[in-house]
Amino acid sequence: MLPDDLAAPLGALRGRRPEVNLAVRWHASVPSTMDVASTLAAGGAAHGVVVVADQQTAGRGRRGHVWVSPPGAGLYLSFIARPAIAASTFLSLVTLAAGVAVRDGILAAQGLAVDLKWPNDVMVGRRKLAGILAEGLALGTAGQAVVIGVGLNLRGSSYPPDVAARATSLEGELGRTVDRGQVMAEVLAALWDRLAALESGPGDILQAWRAASPSAIGSRVEWDAKSGTTAGIDDSGALLIRTSSGVERVIAGELQWPAFARP
Amino acid sequence: MTLDEIKQLIEFIKSHELSEFELEHDGVKIRIKSGLSHHVVTVPHAAAPPVSAAPVAAPAAAAPAAPVAPVADEGGELAIVKSPIVGTFYRAAEPGAKPLAAVGDIVRKGQVLCIIEAMKLMNEIDSEYDGEITSIYVENAQAVQYGERLFAIRPTS
Repeated sequence: MLPDDLAAPLGALRGRRPEVNLAVRWHASVPSTMDVASTLAAGGAAHGVVVVADQQTAGRGRRGHVWVSPPGAGLYLSFIARPAIAASTFLSLVTLAAGVAVRDGILAAQGLAVDLKWPNDVMVGRRKLAGILAEGLALGTAGQAVVIGVGLNLRGSSYPPDVAARATSLEGELGRTVDRGQVMAEVLAALWDRLAALESGPGDILQAWRAASPSAIGSRVEWDAKSGTTAGIDDSGALLIRTSSGVERVIAGELQWPAFARP
Repeated sequence: MTLDEIKQLIEFIKSHELSEFELEHDGVKIRIKSGLSHHVVTVPHAAAPPVSAAPVAAPAAAAPAAPVAPVADEGGELAIVKSPIVGTFYRAAEPGAKPLAAVGDIVRKGQVLCIIEAMKLMNEIDSEYDGEITSIYVENAQAVQYGERLFAIRPTS
Protein backbone atom coordinates (compact mmCIF):
# COMPACT_ATOMS: atom_id res chain seq x y z
CA MET A 1 0.00 0.00 0.00
CA LEU A 2 1.51 3.27 -1.15
CA PRO A 3 1.70 5.89 1.67
CA ASP A 4 -0.57 8.91 1.17
CA ASP A 5 2.29 11.36 0.68
CA LEU A 6 3.43 9.31 -2.34
CA ALA A 7 -0.01 8.30 -3.63
CA ALA A 8 -1.37 11.85 -3.88
CA PRO A 9 1.27 13.31 -6.25
CA LEU A 10 1.24 10.12 -8.33
CA GLY A 11 -2.54 10.41 -8.66
CA ALA A 12 -2.18 14.05 -9.68
CA LEU A 13 0.43 13.06 -12.29
CA ARG A 14 -1.91 10.39 -13.66
CA GLY A 15 -4.67 12.99 -14.01
CA ARG A 16 -2.38 15.52 -15.70
CA ARG A 17 -0.42 13.09 -17.91
CA PRO A 18 -2.52 9.96 -18.44
CA GLU A 19 -0.08 8.65 -21.08
CA VAL A 20 2.65 8.28 -18.45
CA ASN A 21 1.85 4.68 -17.65
CA LEU A 22 3.61 3.96 -14.37
CA ALA A 23 2.99 1.07 -12.01
CA VAL A 24 4.63 1.89 -8.68
CA ARG A 25 5.24 -0.94 -6.20
CA TRP A 26 5.97 0.20 -2.68
CA HIS A 27 8.00 -1.61 -0.03
CA ALA A 28 8.64 -0.38 3.50
CA SER A 29 12.02 -2.13 3.55
CA VAL A 30 13.90 -4.24 1.02
CA PRO A 31 17.53 -5.33 0.73
CA SER A 32 17.79 -3.47 -2.62
CA THR A 33 15.16 -2.12 -5.01
CA MET A 34 17.49 -3.24 -7.85
CA ASP A 35 17.15 -6.89 -6.87
CA VAL A 36 13.36 -6.67 -6.59
CA ALA A 37 13.08 -4.87 -9.94
CA SER A 38 15.49 -7.25 -11.72
CA THR A 39 13.41 -10.21 -10.60
CA LEU A 40 10.25 -8.47 -11.81
CA ALA A 41 11.90 -7.62 -15.15
CA ALA A 42 13.07 -11.20 -15.62
CA GLY A 43 9.47 -12.24 -15.00
CA GLY A 44 8.22 -9.98 -17.78
CA ALA A 45 7.31 -6.74 -15.97
CA ALA A 46 6.39 -3.93 -18.39
CA HIS A 47 8.08 -0.63 -19.15
CA GLY A 48 7.23 1.80 -16.37
CA VAL A 49 7.03 -0.68 -13.51
CA VAL A 50 8.82 1.01 -10.60
CA VAL A 51 9.97 -0.42 -7.26
CA VAL A 52 10.14 2.17 -4.46
CA ALA A 53 11.28 1.57 -0.90
CA ASP A 54 11.33 3.64 2.27
CA GLN A 55 14.50 1.84 3.34
CA GLN A 56 17.15 -0.39 1.77
CA THR A 57 19.11 -2.66 4.05
CA ALA A 58 21.64 -3.50 1.32
CA GLY A 59 21.37 -0.54 -1.08
CA ARG A 60 24.06 -0.72 -3.70
CA GLY A 61 25.97 1.44 -6.09
CA ARG A 62 28.37 0.62 -8.87
CA ARG A 63 30.57 -2.49 -8.51
CA GLY A 64 29.94 -3.30 -4.86
CA HIS A 65 29.78 0.26 -3.57
CA VAL A 66 27.18 0.67 -0.83
CA TRP A 67 24.35 3.20 -1.08
CA VAL A 68 23.47 4.17 2.50
CA SER A 69 19.66 4.09 2.58
CA PRO A 70 18.23 4.80 6.04
CA PRO A 71 14.43 4.79 6.45
CA GLY A 72 12.66 7.90 5.20
CA ALA A 73 15.89 9.79 4.47
CA GLY A 74 15.94 9.30 0.73
CA LEU A 75 14.18 8.29 -2.41
CA TYR A 76 15.21 4.77 -3.37
CA LEU A 77 13.68 3.53 -6.58
CA SER A 78 14.30 1.24 -9.55
CA PHE A 79 12.59 1.89 -12.89
CA ILE A 80 12.14 -0.92 -15.41
CA ALA A 81 12.69 0.23 -19.00
CA ARG A 82 11.94 -1.89 -22.06
CA PRO A 83 13.81 -0.26 -24.93
CA ALA A 84 12.85 -1.23 -28.47
CA ILE A 85 15.54 -3.45 -29.93
CA ALA A 86 15.96 -1.14 -32.94
CA ALA A 87 16.87 1.86 -30.79
CA SER A 88 20.59 1.48 -31.40
CA THR A 89 21.89 4.44 -29.41
CA PHE A 90 19.56 3.76 -26.47
CA LEU A 91 21.89 1.51 -24.51
CA SER A 92 24.97 3.70 -24.78
CA LEU A 93 23.09 6.80 -23.68
CA VAL A 94 20.51 5.40 -21.23
CA THR A 95 22.58 6.18 -18.15
CA LEU A 96 23.19 9.75 -19.32
CA ALA A 97 19.46 10.11 -20.03
CA ALA A 98 18.69 8.92 -16.50
CA GLY A 99 20.97 11.61 -15.07
CA VAL A 100 19.26 14.26 -17.18
CA ALA A 101 15.86 12.98 -16.01
CA VAL A 102 16.74 13.07 -12.31
CA ARG A 103 18.02 16.61 -12.82
CA ASP A 104 14.76 17.54 -14.60
CA GLY A 105 12.68 16.03 -11.79
CA ILE A 106 14.52 17.91 -9.04
CA LEU A 107 14.26 21.15 -11.00
CA ALA A 108 10.51 20.69 -11.62
CA ALA A 109 9.71 19.67 -8.05
CA GLN A 110 11.98 22.00 -6.08
CA GLY A 111 13.47 24.57 -8.45
CA LEU A 112 17.04 23.46 -7.72
CA ALA A 113 19.36 23.23 -10.75
CA VAL A 114 21.93 20.48 -10.08
CA ASP A 115 25.03 19.55 -12.06
CA LEU A 116 25.81 16.21 -13.69
CA LYS A 117 29.23 14.60 -13.43
CA TRP A 118 30.07 12.02 -16.08
CA PRO A 119 28.39 9.75 -16.64
CA ASN A 120 25.49 10.49 -14.30
CA ASP A 121 26.37 11.55 -10.77
CA VAL A 122 23.96 14.23 -9.59
CA MET A 123 26.01 16.90 -7.84
CA VAL A 124 25.57 20.12 -5.92
CA GLY A 125 28.99 21.73 -6.01
CA ARG A 126 31.53 19.16 -4.83
CA ARG A 127 28.98 16.92 -3.13
CA LYS A 128 26.79 14.14 -4.42
CA LEU A 129 23.02 14.51 -4.10
CA ALA A 130 21.91 11.46 -6.04
CA GLY A 131 23.46 8.40 -7.61
CA ILE A 132 22.25 6.30 -10.50
CA LEU A 133 23.14 2.85 -11.69
CA ALA A 134 21.72 0.70 -14.43
CA GLU A 135 21.66 -3.01 -15.10
CA GLY A 136 20.88 -4.58 -18.46
CA LEU A 137 19.07 -7.89 -18.76
CA ALA A 138 18.95 -10.09 -21.87
CA LEU A 139 20.22 -7.22 -24.00
CA GLY A 140 20.05 -7.82 -27.72
CA THR A 141 17.01 -10.06 -27.37
CA ALA A 142 13.30 -9.33 -27.69
CA GLY A 143 13.05 -9.54 -23.90
CA GLN A 144 15.72 -6.95 -23.16
CA ALA A 145 15.28 -4.68 -20.17
CA VAL A 146 17.27 -1.98 -18.43
CA VAL A 147 16.69 -1.49 -14.71
CA ILE A 148 17.57 2.07 -13.68
CA GLY A 149 18.26 2.60 -10.00
CA VAL A 150 18.10 6.03 -8.37
CA GLY A 151 19.15 6.92 -4.84
CA LEU A 152 18.41 10.53 -3.94
CA ASN A 153 19.24 12.01 -0.55
CA LEU A 154 16.21 13.89 0.75
CA ARG A 155 17.36 14.82 4.22
CA GLY A 156 20.65 14.74 6.03
CA SER A 157 20.84 11.60 8.05
CA SER A 158 23.23 9.82 10.32
CA TYR A 159 25.57 8.97 7.48
CA PRO A 160 28.87 7.33 8.20
CA PRO A 161 31.62 10.01 8.33
CA ASP A 162 33.17 9.00 5.00
CA VAL A 163 29.78 9.41 3.29
CA ALA A 164 28.88 12.62 5.17
CA ALA A 165 32.02 14.33 3.83
CA ARG A 166 31.01 13.88 0.20
CA ALA A 167 27.21 13.70 0.27
CA THR A 168 24.53 16.35 0.44
CA SER A 169 20.74 16.26 0.65
CA LEU A 170 17.88 18.16 -0.93
CA GLU A 171 16.67 19.55 2.39
CA GLY A 172 20.24 20.44 3.37
CA GLU A 173 20.69 22.42 0.18
CA LEU A 174 17.27 24.12 0.28
CA GLY A 175 17.09 24.76 4.03
CA ARG A 176 13.48 23.62 4.24
CA THR A 177 11.44 20.44 4.31
CA VAL A 178 10.80 18.74 1.02
CA ASP A 179 7.71 16.86 -0.15
CA ARG A 180 9.23 13.52 -1.15
CA GLY A 181 6.11 12.41 -3.02
CA GLN A 182 6.31 15.43 -5.29
CA VAL A 183 10.02 14.80 -5.95
CA MET A 184 9.30 11.14 -6.72
CA ALA A 185 6.43 11.91 -9.11
CA GLU A 186 8.48 14.51 -11.00
CA VAL A 187 11.55 12.25 -11.23
CA LEU A 188 9.42 9.36 -12.54
CA ALA A 189 7.64 11.57 -15.09
CA ALA A 190 11.00 12.91 -16.27
CA LEU A 191 12.42 9.38 -16.57
CA TRP A 192 9.41 8.41 -18.65
CA ASP A 193 9.83 11.44 -20.92
CA ARG A 194 13.62 11.29 -21.33
CA LEU A 195 13.58 7.56 -22.12
CA ALA A 196 10.86 8.16 -24.71
CA ALA A 197 12.92 10.99 -26.21
CA LEU A 198 15.99 8.75 -26.34
CA GLU A 199 14.07 6.09 -28.27
CA SER A 200 13.45 8.60 -31.03
CA GLY A 201 17.01 9.94 -31.15
CA PRO A 202 20.03 11.00 -29.09
CA GLY A 203 20.02 14.73 -29.88
CA ASP A 204 17.94 16.07 -26.99
CA ILE A 205 19.71 13.96 -24.39
CA LEU A 206 23.19 14.93 -25.59
CA GLN A 207 22.28 18.61 -25.65
CA ALA A 208 20.66 18.56 -22.19
CA TRP A 209 23.51 16.54 -20.68
CA ARG A 210 26.22 18.79 -22.11
CA ALA A 211 24.42 21.90 -20.82
CA ALA A 212 24.22 20.42 -17.30
CA SER A 213 27.78 19.17 -16.92
CA PRO A 214 30.35 21.93 -16.45
CA SER A 215 32.92 19.37 -15.23
CA ALA A 216 32.88 17.55 -18.58
CA ILE A 217 35.16 20.23 -19.98
CA GLY A 218 38.45 21.35 -18.47
CA SER A 219 38.43 19.17 -15.34
CA ARG A 220 41.43 17.15 -14.27
CA VAL A 221 40.79 13.41 -14.05
CA GLU A 222 43.01 10.51 -13.10
CA TRP A 223 42.79 6.80 -13.73
CA ASP A 224 45.22 3.93 -13.39
CA ALA A 225 48.56 5.69 -13.68
CA LYS A 226 47.29 8.28 -16.16
CA SER A 227 45.79 11.72 -15.98
CA GLY A 228 44.32 14.30 -18.31
CA THR A 229 41.77 17.05 -18.79
CA THR A 230 38.17 16.45 -19.78
CA ALA A 231 37.23 17.59 -23.28
CA GLY A 232 33.49 16.92 -23.45
CA ILE A 233 31.58 13.85 -24.55
CA ASP A 234 31.23 12.42 -28.02
CA ASP A 235 27.84 11.51 -29.52
CA SER A 236 28.01 8.00 -28.06
CA GLY A 237 28.29 9.48 -24.57
CA ALA A 238 31.96 8.55 -24.13
CA LEU A 239 34.04 10.99 -22.09
CA LEU A 240 36.93 12.51 -24.02
CA ILE A 241 40.09 13.13 -22.03
CA ARG A 242 43.03 15.09 -23.38
CA THR A 243 46.33 13.64 -22.20
CA SER A 244 49.96 14.34 -23.03
CA SER A 245 49.80 11.58 -25.63
CA GLY A 246 46.51 12.47 -27.31
CA VAL A 247 42.78 12.22 -26.67
CA GLU A 248 41.46 9.13 -24.89
CA ARG A 249 37.86 8.00 -25.15
CA VAL A 250 36.55 6.54 -21.89
CA ILE A 251 33.40 4.43 -21.65
CA ALA A 252 33.88 2.48 -18.42
CA GLY A 253 35.98 2.15 -15.34
CA GLU A 254 36.83 4.15 -12.25
CA LEU A 255 37.88 7.77 -12.78
CA GLN A 256 39.14 10.03 -10.01
CA TRP A 257 38.11 13.69 -10.06
CA PRO A 258 40.39 15.68 -7.73
CA ALA A 259 38.09 18.74 -7.92
CA PHE A 260 35.29 16.77 -6.26
CA ALA A 261 35.11 15.34 -2.77
CA ARG A 262 37.12 12.14 -2.64
CA PRO A 263 35.23 8.87 -2.41
CA MET B 1 43.60 -29.57 -45.92
CA THR B 2 46.13 -26.95 -44.80
CA LEU B 3 45.73 -24.09 -42.40
CA ASP B 4 46.05 -21.62 -45.28
CA GLU B 5 43.22 -23.35 -47.09
CA ILE B 6 41.04 -23.11 -44.00
CA LYS B 7 41.90 -19.42 -43.67
CA GLN B 8 40.98 -18.87 -47.31
CA LEU B 9 37.73 -20.68 -46.73
CA ILE B 10 36.92 -18.43 -43.77
CA GLU B 11 37.72 -15.32 -45.83
CA PHE B 12 35.46 -16.63 -48.59
CA ILE B 13 32.62 -17.21 -46.14
CA LYS B 14 33.09 -13.77 -44.57
CA SER B 15 33.21 -11.99 -47.91
CA HIS B 16 30.01 -13.65 -49.02
CA GLU B 17 28.34 -13.25 -45.63
CA LEU B 18 27.33 -16.88 -45.60
CA SER B 19 25.66 -18.08 -42.44
CA GLU B 20 26.63 -21.72 -42.84
CA PHE B 21 29.12 -23.67 -44.93
CA GLU B 22 29.99 -27.35 -45.14
CA LEU B 23 32.79 -29.03 -47.10
CA GLU B 24 34.03 -32.59 -47.38
CA HIS B 25 37.48 -32.98 -48.91
CA ASP B 26 40.03 -35.80 -48.72
CA GLY B 27 38.21 -37.40 -45.82
CA VAL B 28 38.09 -34.15 -43.83
CA LYS B 29 34.71 -32.65 -43.20
CA ILE B 30 34.47 -29.06 -42.07
CA ARG B 31 31.37 -27.11 -41.17
CA ILE B 32 31.41 -23.40 -40.36
CA LYS B 33 28.47 -21.51 -38.98
CA SER B 34 28.32 -17.79 -38.53
CA GLY B 35 25.80 -15.82 -36.52
CA LEU B 36 25.47 -12.60 -34.59
CA SER B 37 25.93 -13.76 -31.05
CA HIS B 38 27.73 -17.07 -31.35
CA HIS B 39 29.54 -19.18 -33.89
CA VAL B 40 30.07 -22.86 -34.07
CA VAL B 41 32.55 -24.80 -36.11
CA THR B 42 32.74 -28.51 -36.09
CA VAL B 43 35.50 -30.75 -37.27
CA PRO B 44 34.29 -34.27 -36.60
CA HIS B 45 36.86 -36.03 -34.48
CA ALA B 46 37.03 -39.37 -36.27
CA ALA B 47 37.07 -38.00 -39.80
CA ALA B 48 39.64 -35.30 -39.30
CA PRO B 49 42.95 -36.51 -37.93
CA PRO B 50 45.06 -34.10 -40.03
CA VAL B 51 43.34 -31.03 -38.63
CA SER B 52 44.26 -30.51 -35.02
CA ALA B 53 42.59 -28.08 -32.68
CA ALA B 54 45.32 -25.46 -32.61
CA PRO B 55 45.60 -24.53 -36.29
CA VAL B 56 41.85 -24.36 -36.74
CA ALA B 57 41.52 -22.02 -33.80
CA ALA B 58 44.38 -19.82 -34.99
CA PRO B 59 42.47 -17.67 -37.51
CA ALA B 60 40.00 -16.75 -34.80
CA ALA B 61 42.79 -15.55 -32.54
CA ALA B 62 44.12 -13.40 -35.35
CA ALA B 63 40.76 -11.73 -35.89
CA PRO B 64 38.81 -11.79 -32.62
CA ALA B 65 36.02 -9.50 -33.74
CA ALA B 66 35.51 -11.19 -37.10
CA PRO B 67 32.04 -12.49 -37.87
CA VAL B 68 33.32 -16.06 -38.07
CA ALA B 69 35.06 -17.66 -35.11
CA PRO B 70 36.00 -21.23 -35.77
CA VAL B 71 36.71 -23.44 -32.82
CA ALA B 72 37.26 -27.12 -32.56
CA ASP B 73 38.47 -29.39 -29.87
CA GLU B 74 38.78 -33.08 -29.32
CA GLY B 75 35.32 -33.32 -27.86
CA GLY B 76 33.57 -31.93 -30.93
CA GLU B 77 31.45 -28.80 -31.02
CA LEU B 78 32.22 -25.79 -28.91
CA ALA B 79 29.89 -22.84 -28.65
CA ILE B 80 31.53 -19.44 -28.32
CA VAL B 81 29.96 -16.69 -26.24
CA LYS B 82 31.03 -13.32 -27.63
CA SER B 83 30.72 -9.82 -26.32
CA PRO B 84 27.61 -8.05 -27.63
CA ILE B 85 29.09 -4.65 -26.74
CA VAL B 86 32.30 -2.72 -26.11
CA GLY B 87 33.06 -2.38 -22.42
CA THR B 88 34.87 -3.68 -19.38
CA PHE B 89 34.63 -7.40 -18.61
CA TYR B 90 33.95 -8.49 -15.04
CA ARG B 91 33.86 -12.10 -13.93
CA ALA B 92 32.08 -11.37 -10.64
CA ALA B 93 29.14 -9.21 -9.59
CA GLU B 94 31.46 -7.09 -7.44
CA PRO B 95 35.15 -6.97 -6.52
CA GLY B 96 36.12 -9.84 -4.26
CA ALA B 97 32.98 -11.86 -4.98
CA LYS B 98 33.04 -15.37 -6.38
CA PRO B 99 33.30 -15.46 -10.19
CA LEU B 100 29.96 -16.06 -11.87
CA ALA B 101 31.46 -18.81 -14.02
CA ALA B 102 34.72 -20.75 -14.03
CA VAL B 103 36.33 -23.30 -16.33
CA GLY B 104 34.77 -26.67 -15.64
CA ASP B 105 31.49 -25.22 -14.41
CA ILE B 106 28.31 -26.73 -15.76
CA VAL B 107 26.06 -23.84 -16.76
CA ARG B 108 22.43 -23.64 -17.81
CA LYS B 109 20.86 -21.65 -20.61
CA GLY B 110 20.03 -18.19 -19.29
CA GLN B 111 22.59 -18.33 -16.50
CA VAL B 112 24.65 -15.15 -16.06
CA LEU B 113 28.29 -15.79 -17.05
CA CYS B 114 29.84 -12.36 -16.61
CA ILE B 115 29.12 -8.64 -16.54
CA ILE B 116 30.28 -6.09 -19.08
CA GLU B 117 30.16 -2.46 -18.07
CA ALA B 118 29.73 0.35 -20.53
CA MET B 119 28.65 3.86 -19.61
CA LYS B 120 27.89 2.65 -16.07
CA LEU B 121 25.35 0.20 -17.50
CA MET B 122 26.09 -3.25 -16.10
CA ASN B 123 25.23 -5.81 -18.78
CA GLU B 124 24.65 -9.33 -17.62
CA ILE B 125 25.81 -11.76 -20.31
CA ASP B 126 23.78 -14.96 -20.29
CA SER B 127 24.70 -18.42 -21.52
CA GLU B 128 22.78 -19.44 -24.59
CA TYR B 129 23.50 -23.09 -23.89
CA ASP B 130 23.38 -25.82 -21.33
CA GLY B 131 26.92 -27.10 -21.13
CA GLU B 132 30.38 -27.00 -19.63
CA ILE B 133 32.68 -23.97 -19.70
CA THR B 134 35.92 -25.08 -21.34
CA SER B 135 37.71 -21.75 -21.78
CA ILE B 136 37.58 -18.16 -20.61
CA TYR B 137 39.39 -15.90 -23.05
CA VAL B 138 39.45 -12.59 -21.18
CA GLU B 139 40.99 -11.53 -17.88
CA ASN B 140 38.85 -9.85 -15.23
CA ALA B 141 38.52 -6.04 -15.59
CA GLN B 142 39.91 -6.01 -19.14
CA ALA B 143 38.39 -4.02 -21.98
CA VAL B 144 36.54 -6.10 -24.56
CA GLN B 145 35.55 -5.22 -28.09
CA TYR B 146 32.32 -5.94 -29.91
CA GLY B 147 32.33 -9.57 -31.02
CA GLU B 148 35.34 -10.53 -28.90
CA ARG B 149 35.38 -14.10 -27.61
CA LEU B 150 34.53 -14.43 -23.92
CA PHE B 151 33.74 -18.07 -23.17
CA ALA B 152 33.79 -21.47 -24.87
CA ILE B 153 31.07 -23.88 -23.84
CA ARG B 154 30.78 -27.53 -24.74
CA PRO B 155 27.02 -27.95 -25.05
CA THR B 156 25.43 -30.97 -23.46
CA SER B 157 23.71 -32.92 -26.18
